[in-house]
Amino acid sequence: MKTRLIAVALTLCMIISLASCSNTPTDGTSSAADSSQDTSNAPTAAPTAEPIDISGVELINAGTLSIGVEIGYPPFEDFAEDGTTPIGYDVDFAKALGEKLGLEVNFINTAWDGIFQGIDVNYDCVISAVTITEERKETMIFSDPYINNFQAVVVKADYTGEINGFTDLDGMTIALQKETTSDKLMKDYVSTGTIECTISANEKVTTCFTQLTNGEIDAVVVDSTVAAAYLASDPDKYKLAFQDESEPEQFGVAMGMDNTALQTAINKAIEQLEQENYFEDSVEFWFGA
Amino acid sequence: MSFWRKLTDIRNWKTSSKAAVILFMAAVVLFSVLSFINLSREEMMESASDQIKQIIEEEKESTRKYLTITYNDLGAVSYLSFSTSGAKAIRESYVGFAGRTYNADMGLAKFTGQMVNYTYRMLGKGENMLHGVKLTLMLTTLSMAIGFFLSIFLALGKISSNTILSKLCGAYVFFFRGTPLLIQLFVVYFSFPIFFNFSWRGLFSSTDPEAVYKGAFLAALIAFSLNTAAYCAEIVRAAIQSIDKGQNEAAKALGMTYGQTMRTIIIPQSIRRMIPPLCNEFVMMIKDVSLVFAISLMDITTISKSIMTSEGNYLVFLPALVIYLIITAVLTFVFGKIEKRLSIYE
Amino acid sequence: MDDYEFILKTEQLCKSFGSLQVLKGIDLEVKQGEVICIVGPSGAGKSTYLRSLNQLERITSGKIFIKDELFLHREHNRTIHKAEAEKLKAMLLEMGMVFQRFNLFPHKTVLENVMIAPVLVRKKSRDDAEKLARSIIERVGLSDKFDVYPSKLSGGQQQRVAIARALAMEPEIMLFDEPTSALDPELVGEVLNVMKALAKQGMTMLCVTHEMGFAREVADRVVFMADGMILEAGPPKQFFENPKNEKAISFLRSIL
Repeated sequence: MKTRLIAVALTLCMIISLASCSNTPTDGTSSAADSSQDTSNAPTAAPTAEPIDISGVELINAGTLSIGVEIGYPPFEDFAEDGTTPIGYDVDFAKALGEKLGLEVNFINTAWDGIFQGIDVNYDCVISAVTITEERKETMIFSDPYINNFQAVVVKADYTGEINGFTDLDGMTIALQKETTSDKLMKDYVSTGTIECTISANEKVTTCFTQLTNGEIDAVVVDSTVAAAYLASDPDKYKLAFQDESEPEQFGVAMGMDNTALQTAINKAIEQLEQENYFEDSVEFWFGA
Repeated sequence: MSFWRKLTDIRNWKTSSKAAVILFMAAVVLFSVLSFINLSREEMMESASDQIKQIIEEEKESTRKYLTITYNDLGAVSYLSFSTSGAKAIRESYVGFAGRTYNADMGLAKFTGQMVNYTYRMLGKGENMLHGVKLTLMLTTLSMAIGFFLSIFLALGKISSNTILSKLCGAYVFFFRGTPLLIQLFVVYFSFPIFFNFSWRGLFSSTDPEAVYKGAFLAALIAFSLNTAAYCAEIVRAAIQSIDKGQNEAAKALGMTYGQTMRTIIIPQSIRRMIPPLCNEFVMMIKDVSLVFAISLMDITTISKSIMTSEGNYLVFLPALVIYLIITAVLTFVFGKIEKRLSIYE
Repeated sequence: MDDYEFILKTEQLCKSFGSLQVLKGIDLEVKQGEVICIVGPSGAGKSTYLRSLNQLERITSGKIFIKDELFLHREHNRTIHKAEAEKLKAMLLEMGMVFQRFNLFPHKTVLENVMIAPVLVRKKSRDDAEKLARSIIERVGLSDKFDVYPSKLSGGQQQRVAIARALAMEPEIMLFDEPTSALDPELVGEVLNVMKALAKQGMTMLCVTHEMGFAREVADRVVFMADGMILEAGPPKQFFENPKNEKAISFLRSIL
């Protein structure tokens, strides 16, 4: 399955690069100048097939899609090495959306605490690895999902035990990021008395992995997408012990309750991107095989 | 001796003290009676709806349970809730008071239930010493005690005539006051294990599930003690230097050594002058403890913030404020008493 | 009794604070049991001289002998000779000091003030020290104030406690640095009486004082200091009735 994905992705890459070449004859020089940023060869949206009507959409700043994002959750959103350029899966996705909608995109870095309170106040929508949940749907609306995510368990590379499910974490000390799906899930396991384990809940996901490296904890429970990125960058430090494929989570763009016009436009854009195989390509780029 | 005599000589107490004691004792009695007649977990469980009872029956055998039962006993008031998470979440909550159970899904009862639940969590009840108020109190008290002890030597070193020692102590103070406590905490917790190849958890029994918290607590204790020592050192130094030079000369003329002079003459006198700034430092410390969020410990602020993000209820800050105020009030009172006792000679 | 000529002797004692020369070569010989009053205008260096004797000030140059033994010899701010540590300490303890501003320990009661040094320095047992302290406090007439803190005492009473505190170390020489200058006039008498009694008992005393009546009555010798030098010294009768030095004459005229 994975190999096929790569094949598809590679072909896609070629098609996209060919397409972009043919569309912009001067690309050779300009892309060389752009490539000072290592994300310049990240997938971009293919040229718009049919323009999406955004006449009914009300934006905080006309002509610009303002996006709330908590930068610091690699590989979804992070700063490039220069410390100011936002990069990541969500960032690319937002830029692709902008192209589709014919809007500038403006990222507004904000803390996760209270990120949803800022919708329609500081920004039009939130694209920040937000899981679509029934609870959240009570206070905001979501676009169609743009990526699937699973809960995963990461252990040290030299871990010898076997973990086939969350119940196998019984008696272990685990780390997770506070107020995330992982946190809710594991607290659920513990508070219902299903298993007993010691939870180290951290503000940042990096703290969890440092704790794992330092031997403070036995395992990290985290989004599979995030896990993939850590595994890809440090394969001799960490390994994936378990991934729960049974209950996928979906990430969506969060918007204010009344902003259905924007929702319609974004869904249309996502549909077009889907058709252009943008997502497979981007997943391959950011999360590897 | 005279203190106890004064305390037991009730007839000579001030009227206001008598009134305060009577009121306090009445409150204690009322609280004990209410606690005594309050419902136990089992008694409150009987109020559960049939749906919940059915789920409990169903889940008895299953290995993966979905129902969370929360029972918080705060003495006179208790709180019980049933909840499941997911798309079709169920939620039922009850407040127990004066031997009766009230449904707490809305209105005043809901508010009471939430307050009981939040207070319970912030107090770290049902948890060990490393949670909530207990963590805050233990971390501040211990690190203040250790830091103050260290600070005396730092201050003496800084005012010593030995230039190297003085510069060294000065550098210590400069370093710890010149860098943020949060970063010092990070260095101790994250960097030390890498430099010296150990893990904080590894310092405790590997079979102890709480070892990770104990390790983090130890790291926090070290960082906070070292930091507060630097701040206290300046307080101690200022207090020592504010003592009249004549005291030193008198002691020297009597043949007392430097150590004897410091121990019996200068430091005892300067302690009284340290009390107000030390109390200040203590109160600041109580709030600084919230930095332990960074190394996965949960103090009052961290707990209330986490409740706020997960439940979106801003009322959570009410009990947090009250708890902080009570701690600060008690502390200020105790320090005031100490100061008064120490100034008996003035 | 030890066999020595002078209990205290200084030779060419000099002291400078930076470029300011405060003592310009003080020679003084004190016999055991002698009461010497040092008088002179303020800024003459009288207090500095007393403080140099028991090492509260470090002298620039000169020699100090105690019981004819060289205790300290310094030249150009460098120590040439110094008695061994043990002996140095013992010699220093021969001198008791009473300060102008009492310098009692405010956090200790009268009894504790007097007891503390015998216990810590002389290593006496608490019982012995207390017995001694009580008898000395009685001698200065404060037997009803054992457990009182200094802040509750009058200036005169505080200075008497300070004298008792110095006496508790059983010194052979008492140095008084303007002991009555900080007192209200009506309290001066009680302190002087204690000092007179002490002189009568044969204590060797060096008093820097402005109380000319006391000097005239009690002193064996009056030393007149001005500008860091001893300009005249002699028995009180001779000094007060027939001073020879110009400055001494004008000094006496100004205060009498």
